[in-house]
Amino acid sequence: MKVFTKEEVAQYNGKNRKPAYVIYKGKVYDVSASFLWKDGTHQVLHSAGVDLTYALEQAPHGGDVLEKFPVVGIIPSSGKSQTPSKP
Amino acid sequence: MARVAREMVEKAGINVDQLVELLVKNAAAELTTYYYYTILRCNLIGLEGEGIKEIAEVARIEDRNHFEALVPRIYELGGNLPENMKAFHDISACPPAKLPKDPTDIKAMLTVLVEAERCAVRGYTHICNLTAGKDHRTYDLSQAILNEEIEHESWFSEFLGEGPSGHFMRRGETSPFVSKFLR
Repeated sequence: MKVFTKEEVAQYNGKNRKPAYVIYKGKVYDVSASFLWKDGTHQVLHSAGVDLTYALEQAPHGGDVLEKFPVVGIIPSSGKSQTPSKP
Repeated sequence: MARVAREMVEKAGINVDQLVELLVKNAAAELTTYYYYTILRCNLIGLEGEGIKEIAEVARIEDRNHFEALVPRIYELGGNLPENMKAFHDISACPPAKLPKDPTDIKAMLTVLVEAERCAVRGYTHICNLTAGKDHRTYDLSQAILNEEIEHESWFSEFLGEGPSGHFMRRGETSPFVSKFLR
């Protein structure tokens, strides 16, 4: 399993045909194939390339929605988001 | 545009441009769902399909009503609908509720229907959370739509046998919660 830094994941922001990766509880998910992550944006407020652990706690769905997406790597010691992606 | 109404929402701390974008995306979801549900309804045939057809039709009509109810609020807040219908389809807040490969597979049909409703329930919960106590009119509208989406989800979920039924089909007119925005 590839080990990412948050800075590396930030490159995969879904813009300009780049893949869209998001971090959740230390795992890096590839959500590029999702209709709900077009252009690296989800429901207007959330962007790909960041740690969404905090945002998912506030979301009207659980982290289980990510289970159908491939895990492409991990972030070491990243159980909690340090940079909430709330607006 | 309702200039003062928009100002009040901005002063309450809401990013109105983001809110409008969310409303447009959800309006797109409603209209596209209305379209895709039309195809689903046409294919709900046979002993099992006909049993679901009536609630699918009510959900279809109510989703169209939701689109109609959302549009004035979008324009009041200074937004607009995209000129291009395809662009509108593609910005939908929910994935297309496409006909399953085997339309005679009633479980697959119900899964498409319930997933569409669940996406809507999440979307309006999100808008209610954003606007609660800040944008009273959008909250009221979103809450009314949410009430109907929750009932749609329950109908399809109960047909899938996910749990005991607490619901029955509509009695009387469609859109009991949203109709006040359509008069």
